[in-house]
Amino acid sequence: VLHTTRALHTAQQRLAPLPPLPEKGGEVRYGLIPEEFFQFLYPKTGVTGPYMLGTGLLLYFLSKEIYVINHETVAAACILSVIIYGIKKYGSDVAAFADKLNEEKVAKALSVKNEAIKDLETAIEQEKKEQWRVEGCKYLFDSKRNNVAMLLETNYRERLLTVYNEVKKRLDYQVAMQNLKRQKEQDHMIQWVERNVAQSITPQQQKESIAKCILDLKALSKTAQAAV
Amino acid sequence: MNLSFFDQFTSPYLLGIPLILLSVLFPALLFPTPNNRWVTNRLSTLQLWLLNLITKQLMIPLNKKGHKWALILTSLMILLLTINLLGLLPYTFTPTTQLPMNMALAFPLWLATLLTGLRNQPTTSLGHLLPEGTPTPLIPALIMIETASLLIRPLALGVRLTANLTAGHLLIQLIST
Repeated sequence: VLHTTRALHTAQQRLAPLPPLPEKGGEVRYGLIPEEFFQFLYPKTGVTGPYMLGTGLLLYFLSKEIYVINHETVAAACILSVIIYGIKKYGSDVAAFADKLNEEKVAKALSVKNEAIKDLETAIEQEKKEQWRVEGCKYLFDSKRNNVAMLLETNYRERLLTVYNEVKKRLDYQVAMQNLKRQKEQDHMIQWVERNVAQSITPQQQKESIAKCILDLKALSKTAQAAV
Repeated sequence: MNLSFFDQFTSPYLLGIPLILLSVLFPALLFPTPNNRWVTNRLSTLQLWLLNLITKQLMIPLNKKGHKWALILTSLMILLLTINLLGLLPYTFTPTTQLPMNMALAFPLWLATLLTGLRNQPTTSLGHLLPEGTPTPLIPALIMIETASLLIRPLALGVRLTANLTAGHLLIQLIST
């Protein structure tokens, strides 16, 4: 069947893009009869042609009893009036509902697209910010480098100070040792001299020295008395 | 031709040609085939919305495997809905008032469910024959009763649809005069 009907497909088979739907449907008069019927009869019968046709047909059916009026006629009239009333009252609402359904469908798809676009735009901005941050990194690195250099310098100086202190301590020790040694030698020598001198003073010398002192004192006392 | 109240239930014939096929297939004309468009005209949108609503209502309680039944159940439901609603208009014939048609719908579907259940899960489907919590002496009687009810089911369903529609349409005709 698929291949036999191939000859019937006269239009080009193209899946997309479909031609757009026409904005309005076919023109209808009284909701049932298409406008083309009136246009078709217009050249021969003018404007009242189709109406005369309709009325004539109806009266023909009724008079010749081709259409019998029975209980269903009443039912038909009632149902028809209810339907027309319903359509007139709620037709636009139903149409708006159908349009709303379509709009929601399209809006959902559009929102997906728009959200994707927005997400990409925020991603672009964030990327630009990151790039700006990278440019600022140079200063960051410089300051960090300065910091590190200062730390190294401080550490170096501290170590120099420590070294200097240690060396000074050792040198002071040596100086103190030498001083102490000399002091000890001096003391020792003084003591030895004193000891020897004390030892060398014999008792004979002691008496002589004491007699001499007494003589000197007497002489002095004489001169002193004279002064007073 | 004077119509009695029961003329709407006679199968229509025109010059000896049975028109029953036409009256069964006519509702298909009211539902245009869905075309390739994504945004359709108002009629198709509304019909698709209705179809989606019905399918959702049918299929939500079922798990994934039960969704195989979606197409046939939804299309059956739409067909019956349209046929029955169209029958309310004057001078129309409702095919579902004919008992043969309802039996033709009921028997295959019922048999299909029964055989599918027996083939895939025989123990569970046989277990449905016994309601829970029956006292032990009643078990044999209950099993026979349940089997009988199972076998009667297509007859019951078919006759139910026929009777409901016939009575409804008749009642509407009676009240309208």
